[in-house]
Amino acid sequence: MDFRLTEEQEFFRKTIAETVDKMIVPKADEIDEKDEFPWDLWREFSKLGYLGLRYPEEIGGMNADPVTAMIFYEEITRGSVGFAQSVIMNILMGTYFVYRFGSDAIKERCLLPAMRGEKIATICFTEDQSGSDLGATRTTAVKDGNEWVLNGTKMWITNGPIADFATVLATTDPSLRMKGLNFFLVEKGTPGLSYGQRLSKLGCRGAITGELVLDNVRIPEENFLGDELGKGVVYVGEILDEIRVMTGAMALGIARAAYEEGLEYARKRVAFGNPIGRYQLIRAKFADMATEMEASRLLVYYAAWLIKEGLPCRKEAAMAKMFATETCLKVVDEVTRIWGANGFAHEYRPQRHLRDARFLLYGGGTHEILKDFIGRSVIGKI
Amino acid sequence: MNFEFSEDHKFFRERVSDLLKKLVLPHASRIDEEEGFPENLFKEFGRLGYFGIRYPEEIGGMNADCITFTIFAEELARVSMGFAAITTMQCLMGTEFIHSFGTKEQKERCLIPAIKGEKVGTIAFTEPNCGSDLGSIQTYAKKEGDGYILNGRKMWITNGAVADFVTVVASIDPSKRINGLAFFLVEKGTPGFSVGQKIEKISAKGANTAELIFDNCYLPKENLLGEEGKGVIYLEKILNEIRIMMAALGLGLAKSAFETGIRYAKEREAFGRPISKFQLIQEKIAEMDTKITNSQLLTYYTAWLKDQGRPHYKEAAMAKFYSTETASFVVDEVTRIHGAYGIAKEYNAQRYFRDARFLLFGGGTSEILKIIIARERLKEAI
Amino acid sequence: MNIIVLVKQVPDPEAIVEVKGDGKGLEVEQKFTMNFFDEFAVEEAIRIREKNGGKVKVISLGGAKTTEVLRKAIAMGVDETLLLEDPNFEGSDGYSTAFVLSKAIEKSDYDLILAGKQALDDDAGEVGPMVAQFLGIPHVGEITRLEVKTDDNMVVVDKVIEGGKEVVKVPLPALLTTQKGLNEPRVPPITGVMKAMKSQIPKMDAKALGLSEEQVGEKGAKIKIERYLPPPKRREVKMIEGEPQEAAKEAVRILMEVERIL
Repeated sequence: MDFRLTEEQEFFRKTIAETVDKMIVPKADEIDEKDEFPWDLWREFSKLGYLGLRYPEEIGGMNADPVTAMIFYEEITRGSVGFAQSVIMNILMGTYFVYRFGSDAIKERCLLPAMRGEKIATICFTEDQSGSDLGATRTTAVKDGNEWVLNGTKMWITNGPIADFATVLATTDPSLRMKGLNFFLVEKGTPGLSYGQRLSKLGCRGAITGELVLDNVRIPEENFLGDELGKGVVYVGEILDEIRVMTGAMALGIARAAYEEGLEYARKRVAFGNPIGRYQLIRAKFADMATEMEASRLLVYYAAWLIKEGLPCRKEAAMAKMFATETCLKVVDEVTRIWGANGFAHEYRPQRHLRDARFLLYGGGTHEILKDFIGRSVIGKI
Repeated sequence: MNFEFSEDHKFFRERVSDLLKKLVLPHASRIDEEEGFPENLFKEFGRLGYFGIRYPEEIGGMNADCITFTIFAEELARVSMGFAAITTMQCLMGTEFIHSFGTKEQKERCLIPAIKGEKVGTIAFTEPNCGSDLGSIQTYAKKEGDGYILNGRKMWITNGAVADFVTVVASIDPSKRINGLAFFLVEKGTPGFSVGQKIEKISAKGANTAELIFDNCYLPKENLLGEEGKGVIYLEKILNEIRIMMAALGLGLAKSAFETGIRYAKEREAFGRPISKFQLIQEKIAEMDTKITNSQLLTYYTAWLKDQGRPHYKEAAMAKFYSTETASFVVDEVTRIHGAYGIAKEYNAQRYFRDARFLLFGGGTSEILKIIIARERLKEAI
Repeated sequence: MNIIVLVKQVPDPEAIVEVKGDGKGLEVEQKFTMNFFDEFAVEEAIRIREKNGGKVKVISLGGAKTTEVLRKAIAMGVDETLLLEDPNFEGSDGYSTAFVLSKAIEKSDYDLILAGKQALDDDAGEVGPMVAQFLGIPHVGEITRLEVKTDDNMVVVDKVIEGGKEVVKVPLPALLTTQKGLNEPRVPPITGVMKAMKSQIPKMDAKALGLSEEQVGEKGAKIKIERYLPPPKRREVKMIEGEPQEAAKEAVRILMEVERIL
C-alpha cells in the first residue's frame, strides 16, 4: 500500500493550489458579496484549459484520472465554493451526457465550447416535488414525429439562468417511475424554454441558481441523450460514484479553508494571558478536526482510487461523501466558535465557510438517503 | 415538586406570545434582511410598557420575577432574534445598573425614558482584544479631580449604533485585572464619545451592533455606577442574569425552528409518503424534542432558583451552555430536514440557522462555561 | 535566441525555520518553492523566445526534490531543463555553486543568461555575478526592463539604483539578474501542466561535468558557516504618551536619535 501521491500528482496539486491562491482566493469574498456570476474570472480561468479536465486529450482535454480530478475539485473549492460549482458543472455533470451520447454535431456545438469556457453547461434533475425521489419526476417528454416535446419545471438548477445548454431529466412514462427516466439536451434559445425565478441562497453565492421552465419545448431526435429509452437512471449510475466522491473532495476543500483560518486565529488571539491555542479545549477541537479531516481525506482518495481501478465502489463513494461532509460541517462550526464573535462578522471568512458548507448536505444525496443505502448494502438482502 | 407553570405565568406567556405574533412576527424577515434599527417597532413596544418588565411598578415597570422575564425572552426569540437581542438589552443589561445605582437625575434622564422606549440603552463589556478574558479590559477610567477620564474602545455592542446611554465596564486599576473593574454611565453627547464602525453580522441581524469609542471622556463622579472595587461582584450578578436570559433565547429559537421542521416533515413527500414517516427523520425529531425539553427544564429551574433567592451561578452557566448548544443542534437538523430549501433565503430555516450562532458567545462561550461549571462542581462535596 | 535561466529551489516563505540546538544547522519545514526572483527570470526568457524565437533552458543545482521547480518551469513553457545533482554538492557556498553552474552552462550554446537577483533563503545575491565572472561575460543586476536588440547583438536594460534607475546597454552574451517589476509571471495553463507532469528531468553529476570532489560542494567552497543564530526577540512596544503634537515630536526624536533610522 503506497499512500503517497505520485510525483506527478504532487506536482499537479502544487500547481493547481498556487493557481487557486493567485487567481481565485483574492476574488472569493467579492464573489460571495455580489452573488453574481464572475464573468471576468471565468474567462481568465477558462484560458488555462482546466475545464477539459476529464475529457480525452484528442478533443483538447486532459484525460485526468479520478484521483487527479479529486485533487482539482478539492483545491478549487478551497478557493471559492460558488466559483467551483460553476467550474465543476462544466467539467462533469453539465457535459458528461453530451460527451457520452451526443452526436458529432452536438459535441461540436456544445461540448467543445464548454471545455473552452465559451458556453455554460448545466444539468437538471430536481423539481419542486422531487429531490431525493427521482421517481416522482413530472417533467415529461413526448415523441411527436421526429421531435421530442418537453414540458415541466426544473428547480435548483446551478447556472440555469445563464446556461447555453442543459441536460434535462424527463420521464417518457410516469407510470414506470424510475424506469421511465431519460436525458435530453435542451439548448438556449429553443422556443418554450425560459427561466423562472432566481433563488437567493445562504451560501455558494456566485453560482446562479434558478428555475428552468419548459413549455412545449420541441427538440430534434438527436437531442435524446442515450442508447435506449428508460435507461436514464442506469446512465446516472455511470457518474454517480464520481459525483459523490467529488462532493467529498469539495468538502475537504471547504474544511481546509476553514481549518487554516482557525489555526491562524488560535495562534494569534490572546486571552487570559495566553494565545488560545495553548488551552486544552482549543487543542481538543484541533485534535478532532485534524483527525477527522485526515480520515476523510483517506476515504475520499481511496474511493477515487477504486473508481480509477474500475473496482466496485458504490458503498465507499457514499461513505466518502457522507463522512467528509459531516467532518466539514463540524470543522466550519468549530472554526467559527474559535473565532468568537468574529466568527459571525461579515468582514471575516469563517462565516462564509459556515454558510457555504451547507450545500454539501444535499449534493450527491442527503445523508438520510445515503445512510439508508449504506445500511441496506452492508446488511444485505434479508 | 411542581413542574407546572403558575396560572399567572401561563397567562403572561399567552399575552406576550399573542402580542409578538401580531406586532413583530410580520417584520421578522425584514428586520433580518435590512439590518437597520426597527425604530417604530421599538417605540411601540416601549409604549406598551414591556421595557420596564423587570423594574418596579412605581417607575412604570411590571415588577416581574425571573421566571416571567425568562418567558418573555423565550417568546421574543421565537419570533425574531434580532428584535429579541435589542429588547432584552433594553430590559436588562442596558438599564440595570442605572436602576440599581443611578442618581435621581440619571434615572429621570435615562431609565424612565428607556422604559418608555424613548431612549435606547446598552452595556459595553467586550473590546477588540478581549471577550472571554474580562480581566484584560483596557478601557481605562483614570481618576481626575472629582471625576474620571475615560479612554478606550468597545466592540460588539448591541444597540451600539443607536444607544442614548451606555453602561461601560472599564478598569480603574489595570494592575488589579478583574478586581479593578468598575461600571460607568456614559450618555450620548458626552464629548469624546462616538460610534465607530457598524458591524455587519450574519446572526441576530437588526441588533445594530457597533464599535464605541471613548476619547478622553470626562465623567463626573456620579457617573460611577456602584462602588469602586465591587465591579467583580456586580459582574458576576449581571452575568448570571444574562446567562439565564441567553438560555431563554436559545430555547425560544430552538422551539421555533423545531416546529418549522415538524411542519415541513409532515408536508413534504418523497417515495410516496410524508418524510415524517421515515425512521431517520423520526430519530431527528426525537433527539430535538428531548434536548428542547431538557433545555426548558434546566432554564426554568435556574430561573426558579433565582426567584427563590438561592445560589445559581453554576446552574446559570449550565442552562446557557445546554440551551444554546441545543439550539445549534436543532437548527442544523432542521435545515437538513428542509433539504435544499434549508439554504433558500425565502424560507425561515436558514435564518434560524444563522441566528443560533450569536447565542454561542453572548454570556460566555461554551468553552468558558464548561470550565466554570467544572470548577464550581469541584468545589462542592463529592 | 538561446537563453539559459538559473533557478534555485528555496523553502516556502511560510515554512517554519528553526536553528538546530548546536547552532550548526537549521531545521526547515519540508515545504519548497521556486525562488521568488527566479520566476521573473523564467517568465522573461519565455517572453523573449515568444518574440524572437530560440530556446529556453533552465538549470538548477539541488537535490531530488528540485525536480519540482524544473517542472514548474516546463509548465510555464521552457524548452529544456537540467538538474545538477550529486551528494558531493552538499555544503556548497555561493562560489562552489556558481562554479558548478558555470561548468554546466559552458556545455551549451547561449546568448543570454537570466537569474533572480537573490535567493530568499540566504539573501546572498552572489551566484549570478559569480557565474558571469567564471564565464567571463558582463553582468547587470536588478533589472526591471529588458529590450532585445537582435540586430546589434545586445540588450538594453533598466537597472534599479538608489533613488532612480540606470539605462544600460549590454553586449551579448551577458548575464542579467532580475528584480521585481520586470514582468508578471504567468499562471501555467493545463497543457503546460500536463507536459510537465510527463517530463523526464535530465540530470548531471560532478563526474559528468568533469569535476573532481575537491572542486565542488563543501570542499570547493570559500566560505564556511560557523554558526546560525536565531533573530533577536521582538522588543517591548513602547507607548508614547501625551498630546498628539508632543507625542509626534517624541516619536521623531526616538527614530532619529535612539533608533537612528532617519
